[in-house]
Amino acid sequence: MESLIPVLVLTLIVIGFGVFLVVVSSKLGPKTKPSALKQESYECGIEVQESGSSKIPIKFYLTAILFILFDIEIIFMYPWAITFTDSITGGYGLQVLIAMGIFLFIFIIGLFWEVKSKALEWE
Amino acid sequence: MGSDLIEIGINTAKLLVIFLMMVQIVPLLVWVERRGSAFIQNRFGPNRVGPLGLTQLLADAVKFLFKEEFVPDKNRRFLFYAAPVVALIPGALAFAAIPLSIPIEIDIMGKSYKFLFQGYEVGIGIVFVLGVSSLGAYALLMAGYGSNNKYSMFGALRASAQMISYELALGLSLVGILLVFNTFDFQQIIDSQLTNFVFMGTETALPNWGILYQPLGFILFVVAVFAETNRLPFDLPEAESELVAGYHTEYGGIKMNMFYIGEYGHMLVASALIVTFYFGGYDPIFWTPGELVATYGNVMAALLLHVVFLTKVGLFLWIFIWVRWTLPRFRYDQLMDLGWKTMLPWALANTIITAVVAFWLRA
Amino acid sequence: MSVEVALFYGLSFLIIYFGLGVLMNPNPIKAAFNLVLTMVGVAGVFFHLQAGFLGGVQLAVYAGAVMVLFVMVLMLFDLEKERDAFSEGFLGNALKLISVGLVVSLVINSVLLSSDLQSAKGPGATVVKDAEITKKLADLIFTEYIFAFEILGVLLLLVAIGAVAISRIKGGTHANS
Repeated sequence: MESLIPVLVLTLIVIGFGVFLVVVSSKLGPKTKPSALKQESYECGIEVQESGSSKIPIKFYLTAILFILFDIEIIFMYPWAITFTDSITGGYGLQVLIAMGIFLFIFIIGLFWEVKSKALEWE
Repeated sequence: MGSDLIEIGINTAKLLVIFLMMVQIVPLLVWVERRGSAFIQNRFGPNRVGPLGLTQLLADAVKFLFKEEFVPDKNRRFLFYAAPVVALIPGALAFAAIPLSIPIEIDIMGKSYKFLFQGYEVGIGIVFVLGVSSLGAYALLMAGYGSNNKYSMFGALRASAQMISYELALGLSLVGILLVFNTFDFQQIIDSQLTNFVFMGTETALPNWGILYQPLGFILFVVAVFAETNRLPFDLPEAESELVAGYHTEYGGIKMNMFYIGEYGHMLVASALIVTFYFGGYDPIFWTPGELVATYGNVMAALLLHVVFLTKVGLFLWIFIWVRWTLPRFRYDQLMDLGWKTMLPWALANTIITAVVAFWLRA
Repeated sequence: MSVEVALFYGLSFLIIYFGLGVLMNPNPIKAAFNLVLTMVGVAGVFFHLQAGFLGGVQLAVYAGAVMVLFVMVLMLFDLEKERDAFSEGFLGNALKLISVGLVVSLVINSVLLSSDLQSAKGPGATVVKDAEITKKLADLIFTEYIFAFEILGVLLLLVAIGAVAISRIKGGTHANS
């Protein structure tokens, strides 16, 4: 496809630019001997209590999975939105509107239930 | 990319120029931000180096390059180095898909060429931009994981949770725009905004801009892009009172600067999208592009329209900066509540109202 | 070999390379990042085959949404322990590759046998623009597959309820560690 090649070329340009900057700055900067104290993770001056990958709240998982579900529903509205005028002029606009209405109704039930069940509460 | 060497060469140069435009805007915006914040807070800001402190940017860039490199002592070096590079990609790819002015048609060596005033034309522009910018979360996750620091990790997790929460409202507020313009293509969206607004059968002096059809959608979109770009009042991922500096705690020098390029690139894309969807793109209001081409010729008209576009984008970039120094930061639960319980229902309402009105008017 | 074909093979090579990375990488998070690149490559193939809308959806839903979930879930666990349990070395990798190869070839063969993909090839296939493909897709969803579309809405609702229920469960194997 015609439009994929420039996208790939631009990606390569960006990556090349980024790698160039990183490499140049690591060559130009002053070098000092690495010491255990210096390489330690930053923790506001105290000794490191735990490593970076400690456990995280399950809320993040829940947010991500709810995001996927709603994202899929929204993606389904996109082809509907750009063809809606065509369907109206084609004479079956009401049918399409009702079909999307039912879909949106289920969507709203889902959202309402999420709010009611306090799944979206952060403390 | 083109039929012969001249076309391929110019199209490649165009990509390079557009990317450098995005990179170049960063020091300029940093300067505007520092001077602007100083102005808002009744300070001076950088005013020593060069006229109005403008060469401060160059000094900063050189200083960033000569900083000592720091890498955390863990076997996650590759992700640590890759994250700032990845942070540049989504903004650049999205910005190149937006038309910045009318196409230029010129003759070179007896052959006529047509060059689009944009990096590349993607038929499904809006979906492409949404898809590419949804990859922005990975740079943050890679930085958070590669740094091996719990502040970085939590900053990255917060950032990605925030980005995905507001991506819903962002995507849904665009459904209204799609219902109005019936296309994914940026060029067609701009073209249909070039006429005058018709109200109740009479033509008014107002331009036919998207904001007149989608006022609620506009507000939702602007709030959502503020959250997507992690700017104040939504900059929870780098809330310094809680998380030191968020996902770039362990970064310094040019690598941290690259995250800034990514962030300002996102701001640039966001402003360009706002202008394209709601403010007529490069629409010069009082004339049509056709009239300008007739008066000034194709190349000059394209450059003039590009200046119009950049002026509108600059206005929104200033609003980004203005808001940053005006509003305080949200608390994290308030942020998530706003995204899921306020923005999402309102975006749904906007979609339903637009669909019903469209059906009522067009049936 | 034309540019188009070369591009297709290049993308396919990248997809397979990152797919192998998913299998061979002992670090789950790095494997997940490899999977992200695989998804982006598949999106590229969609764009290449003129299915722009599907490419965009692949980017936004799979690469953007599903993989963010994967990476977040992997960050839920303490990965240093999982790493010890991961089988490395020649035998382990060979076993993984063989089993995945068997499953994939089963899937591909069943698709090839059950559909008339073969007949769709050839010069008869016309080139249409992205917008038209999207419109055709919408027409099919809202006429022929309207029931499936509504059921999908219900299915997504059920998944949402299930996810909330699972996140509420206390206890389990990771409760005390």
